[in-house]
Amino acid sequence: MGAEIRDRVVAEVSKVVVGREKEVDLLLMCLLARGHVLLEGVPGVSKTLIANAFSKCLGLQFKRVQFTPDILPLDIIGGFVFNMKEREFEFRRGPIFTNILLADEINRAPPKVQSALLESMQELQVTVEGHTEKLPFPFMVIATQNPMEFEGVYPLPEGQLDRFMVKVSFRYPSKEVETNILRRNLTNLDLNEVKTVLTVGELDALVRQVDEVKVSDEVLAYLARVAEATRTEGALVLGASPRAMVQLLHCARAEALLKGRKYVTPDDIKSIASDVLTHRLTIDRAAALKGVSKNPEAILTSILDRVEPPR
Amino acid sequence: MVDNQLVLAALLLVNIVLYAPLVLAATGRRRRKVKADNLAEAFTGLELALKETVPDLPAGFTWEEAVARLKSSGVKTDGMENALKGYEEYRYGGIPLPDLDFNEVVKVANKLGRTSSLRGSSGVGR
Repeated sequence: MGAEIRDRVVAEVSKVVVGREKEVDLLLMCLLARGHVLLEGVPGVSKTLIANAFSKCLGLQFKRVQFTPDILPLDIIGGFVFNMKEREFEFRRGPIFTNILLADEINRAPPKVQSALLESMQELQVTVEGHTEKLPFPFMVIATQNPMEFEGVYPLPEGQLDRFMVKVSFRYPSKEVETNILRRNLTNLDLNEVKTVLTVGELDALVRQVDEVKVSDEVLAYLARVAEATRTEGALVLGASPRAMVQLLHCARAEALLKGRKYVTPDDIKSIASDVLTHRLTIDRAAALKGVSKNPEAILTSILDRVEPPR
Repeated sequence: MVDNQLVLAALLLVNIVLYAPLVLAATGRRRRKVKADNLAEAFTGLELALKETVPDLPAGFTWEEAVARLKSSGVKTDGMENALKGYEEYRYGGIPLPDLDFNEVVKVANKLGRTSSLRGSSGVGR
């Protein structure tokens, strides 16, 4: 069932987004694992379009918030306003009360707003002045940021990056894909072409099935060895946190389900480790200056090459 | 006459010194031939054969990577892949060891020592 649904979703989103199959795959995996995604890429690489098309093909409610330096927490989570008719304060829900929230250019918002959003992402509820409201199911934040912006931005600190289950880097497309994108845009892009291919019931069932995917003790021990190796790696000052490893575990279960299996293999872990862990690893700057370390992805690859999985 | 016999004896000695390691290596390889009574033993044998014959295969290799590497070296893996599905289900999914044909796995393991193209190539098929 999982593999068939994956194919359906990827095919539907690909009607309007060309050459981003892997990214759609990661979005679906993350949604099933109950996580949030950070999309990083320069402007114009279809980050917003993919988020919009993805939520449309799943029939989910979608809202977009453009983050700016003057945005306030109330603009996202909502707050109490005075109802003149009833003569009392009532809670007015902010745009966060949706299934998929696109937090566009999250690094343009001040830290106070970022932390308000990230708190809600973690707890799946909003609390304002003692009033608590649960967020709808499913709930996923798709945040975007431009890695080339240095002026007027507030980079997400490590603790907040850690809350994103997956970071997806949107690179420029290859020449072949670019040609296909141009061909696709000879006629106007219409999001209405994207049909809903999954009911809320099916999605709910899939999310429940993720919890039933088996993980053997040996695979758990393998994950622990990988975590340990990132923490003792000389080229890194910050390795993977326990939260990161828990999220890698959930992702591996979702990945196994989407491959049509009910158990996790070391291959599931290795295939997604880079997407889940790389943004949480911090390189030792002194080592980097000496040319010892290259980038977190290369370091993680060398760690995974060293740590022996159960076979 | 005596000189000729000495030369012959010396040549014989040189030949023994030259060819003995080759003969020993060949018989040693034959001794390492993988034998298995069930699926799990077959894959254990294959794992050992991979470690022995593909020295640049990283310690962290997975079955999927090993299969990709074998395929890129021209080894036929169809039968082995079918057995691998059952083995993985047993290994990671907690089912009893399935009664599957493991001869293909043994065949691949025994073929490894004779497949020189597996040595020295970089990467594991990623």
